[in-house]
Amino acid sequence: MTAPPQLGSVVRVLLRRTIDTYRDSPQAVGWLQHNLDRFDEPLRVAIAGKVKAGKSTLLNALVGEEIAPTDAGECTRIVTWYQDAQVPRVTMFPRHASPRQLTIHRNQGALSFDLQGVPVEQVDKLQVDWPSQSLRTQTLIDTPGIASLSKDTSARAGAFLAPDDSPSQADAVIYLMRHLHATDVHFLESFYDQGVARATPINTIAVLSRADEIGVGRLDALNSARRIARRYRADDKIRGLCQTVVAVAGLLAQTGRTMRQHEFTALTALAALPRPDLDSMLLSVDRFSRTELAAPDSETRARLMERFGLFGVRLSTTLIRQGMTDPNTIATELVRRSGLDELRGVLSTQFAERRDLLKARSALLAVDLVLTREPRPSAAPLAQEVERILAGAHEFAELRLLSTIRSGVVKLAPEVLEEAERLLGGDGGSAAARLGLEPGAGPDQLRAAALEAVTRWQRRAESPMSSRAVSDVARLVVRSCEGVLAGLH
Amino acid sequence: MGVPAAIDLVDLALKATTAYQRPDLGARLEQTRKRLADPNVRVLVVGEFKQGKSQLVNALVNAPVCPVDDDISTAVPTIVRHAETTTVTLVRERGEGSPPERTTVPANQLAQYVSEAGNPGNRALLTYAEVGLPRKLLAGGLVLVDTPGVGGLGSAHGAATMSALPSADAVLLVSDAAQEYTGPELEFLGAALKLCPNVACVLTKTDLYPHWRRIMELDRVHLGDAGVRSEILPVSSMLRLHAAQTQDEKLMDESGFRELVNFLLNRVVARADDLDRRSTGQDVLAVCDQLSAGMKAELSAQENPERIEALVGELTRAKSRADELKQRSSRWQITLNDGVGDLQSDIDYDLRDRLRTIQREAEQLLDDGDPAVIWDQFSEWFHQQVSSAASANFVWAAERARYLASQVAEHFAEGAEVALPQLRFDQSDSMAGKVNALEQPDSEAEGIGGKLLTGMRGGYGGMLMIGMASTLAGLALLNPFSIGAGVLFGAKTVRDEKKRELARRRSEAKVAVRKHIDEVTFQVGKDSRDMLRRTQRDLRDHFSGLAEEVSTSLAGSVAAAQSAVQATASERETRIRDLKAELARIDGVAQRARALMGEAPSQLLAVPAGSAKSL
Repeated sequence: MTAPPQLGSVVRVLLRRTIDTYRDSPQAVGWLQHNLDRFDEPLRVAIAGKVKAGKSTLLNALVGEEIAPTDAGECTRIVTWYQDAQVPRVTMFPRHASPRQLTIHRNQGALSFDLQGVPVEQVDKLQVDWPSQSLRTQTLIDTPGIASLSKDTSARAGAFLAPDDSPSQADAVIYLMRHLHATDVHFLESFYDQGVARATPINTIAVLSRADEIGVGRLDALNSARRIARRYRADDKIRGLCQTVVAVAGLLAQTGRTMRQHEFTALTALAALPRPDLDSMLLSVDRFSRTELAAPDSETRARLMERFGLFGVRLSTTLIRQGMTDPNTIATELVRRSGLDELRGVLSTQFAERRDLLKARSALLAVDLVLTREPRPSAAPLAQEVERILAGAHEFAELRLLSTIRSGVVKLAPEVLEEAERLLGGDGGSAAARLGLEPGAGPDQLRAAALEAVTRWQRRAESPMSSRAVSDVARLVVRSCEGVLAGLH
Repeated sequence: MGVPAAIDLVDLALKATTAYQRPDLGARLEQTRKRLADPNVRVLVVGEFKQGKSQLVNALVNAPVCPVDDDISTAVPTIVRHAETTTVTLVRERGEGSPPERTTVPANQLAQYVSEAGNPGNRALLTYAEVGLPRKLLAGGLVLVDTPGVGGLGSAHGAATMSALPSADAVLLVSDAAQEYTGPELEFLGAALKLCPNVACVLTKTDLYPHWRRIMELDRVHLGDAGVRSEILPVSSMLRLHAAQTQDEKLMDESGFRELVNFLLNRVVARADDLDRRSTGQDVLAVCDQLSAGMKAELSAQENPERIEALVGELTRAKSRADELKQRSSRWQITLNDGVGDLQSDIDYDLRDRLRTIQREAEQLLDDGDPAVIWDQFSEWFHQQVSSAASANFVWAAERARYLASQVAEHFAEGAEVALPQLRFDQSDSMAGKVNALEQPDSEAEGIGGKLLTGMRGGYGGMLMIGMASTLAGLALLNPFSIGAGVLFGAKTVRDEKKRELARRRSEAKVAVRKHIDEVTFQVGKDSRDMLRRTQRDLRDHFSGLAEEVSTSLAGSVAAAQSAVQATASERETRIRDLKAELARIDGVAQRARALMGEAPSQLLAVPAGSAKSL
């Protein structure tokens, strides 16, 4: 079996052909050119969720620096793009004026932006250029909260993430939720649109955020949060809306990645206190910062509480007591426990590995929009081409089948469905992930497993006992397995 | 709380009505007594999911009565009230007519029945669970109701909570200190305030969030912007429970629960007491006035024999005007009948209008997508829309009904004012005052929510049943198997067939939607009509009764005044003395009624303080 041409290049060719056909329409050309350029940019990942879900905190944790401003009240009111660049720079894009550069203020490490008197509702977006390793593979987009009290702020997030008139500007979405609310489900659903290539929950990951607070700051709080995330993962309805659900304690992750020496010193001093004293201080945040104590002083403690949270202080002092004396080990342990590593793993299998597919999908949506907005006879072959790519590209067939399986209409035993999902790339696109093997598995082992899977699903496809629907599923799975085999050669 | 003094007073007045042979007045007092005998003050604890509602109730009574879990939420309302020993009862209501089914279970099994874990989506169909606890806090009649998280106005729980609000004496809106109020929360608060004006906002988990003071300030601003004047009480349930365990007074102060308990005792229970006192006082005063009216008329006639004729004439005219109040043509009756008619058609129109909009949107959605694929989300959306339409309709109906009641009361009072001109007697000493029995309706208008509109308490029962049912009629028509195949085909040969199938699914789905809307219009329409009819009946009975009493009293006055004509001078002397003594006795009862009302804090009193002194 010859490997089909790369999806990415096919779509690129299609984009160029469409630009050619629409040469005389500057608007269409501009839009398509923009999408062609977008093909080569890093993946755009939007971070969305209800107000105060911890979007900016998570963004900081992912970047490893406190660059997004955070606050106790509602904070992010403008869609803000964070992208990698040589020189730090903040640019404001007002709605009816040309972009303007803003001065950067830093307050205790955190950035703050001065809009120079322009009202927020007139700002389309902010763009933060920031030299950062973490932003090299993906551009992160911070969005205002949904269900915000200022209706306009909510509307701005909605318009950005699920615009009514054109495909979304984000390639993928991390959706943050505290505990699942009715509005959350509604919002997830709006991504799950019924258009051509949109019919997949494939570009969404849900994060159960502020995980440390779910268990009201108890030491086992994160276990509770993980259990809840597991339950959500198993919930049919949520599975139909997003790839997976991960629990993350954003504050802990952010602090873990940006911990400073003086904070560690203060924590060590606290850990040296007699146990009952510390426990009684840690009963409430007020007690913690107000108790009479010489060192660390009250202000330092208040600052610690802000950075670590009750759970973070409890956890780090416990870790120090247990014998961790190195700030780096503590920081790593905090990040590990926060669930951030798990999230980054998922991001890499679900988004980074699928980069081409997600980009192609965004581009096809863009072409589709032009074709429907400005139909013309000469574009008819292009429409057919879009259809052909959508129907023909096995990657899209896999996506469609994955969402069909997840919507629960295929009647097969749960463990069989689970295997089908895995082989179709539901847990990651690499050969090992598809075959359910360890990442380091050798080629022989992979080949054996793939051959075995092909045989098994071939049998299922041809069995007279299988219904038509099951045979169709099986045939597609077989094709995925063959793809894996072809990739091994 | 049942105020013992109030009950004693009512009993005393009841004796007087028997002595003076006025059983009609007795009936009214019997009702007052019945109302006093139910001492419960219901406080609803409401809020979004996972805000710490159950833990708040637990901390208030210092016992783990409501199950608390990081993940699983409450599915069934739990009512916590006073009892001598700890008891847990599950209550399942079985529609009108048949008594509710009550099952007693061991206290430690409650969690199995009221949490989502043991009873997902309330599969056991419990109406509520009742927990009795021996606690001082509850001994005053305070009843705490822990409700499932509302999840916005549109959810079934939201609708259920909403319909329970008119019967609550106070509402605690619970929101944790993690963030300021969200849109849905304020929306809920706004709607709740229309049904139950006594609302306090509780900010929970202050032990966990360093910025809770900021959040509280922000919330205060939001409340101010929304024009809500409820106070915000910051509390930490965790600290309170810990303080109770360790007997730590200082920690108790920090927990903020003292303020909350104070609020419950002084502003809710005491206020309910005040209302009880005041309305009882009013009732007794009214009865006293009615009783004394005849005697006052006779006294006046005996003392001024030369004016008897004029007096009788005036009284007769007054009686005929009072009789007019009983006629269907009287102004308040017209206001009531027209008002209910208008209300009925307005509310019906409002409901139909809301549902029609939903139907249009629903059909649009079905046209835009494939019902087979979007059905789950669609039906949930649809249910949400329908229940929030029904909730909004209910809130509006309740508001309008209350307004109508006050309108009727006002017109009745006006009519009564005309019917009873100030009967000033020449000898205007302490005994002969204005016949002021009919000032009553004015003050009645205030307490009208709780007392008169009992009909509203039933809420929209049928609507809830529909809101809870998660399946739509017609769903079974869509065969999931053929859908799976249809989605997978994708080949050109079957395209026409696919199109035909899709059209069929769409039309079937639309039929299902229409059927459901029909059903809802029918059910909710019936519920709202029933509610209005109950309200109408309550108001009519109440005011007709009042008119009847006045008429009877005036008839008595006329007879008494006429009887004075035949009396001799000596008889007159004795009679005057007797009448004065009788009047003094009735006045004694009235004094006690005034004293009872006087016990209430002055700002809550509608009656000017001077009125008690003048006698």
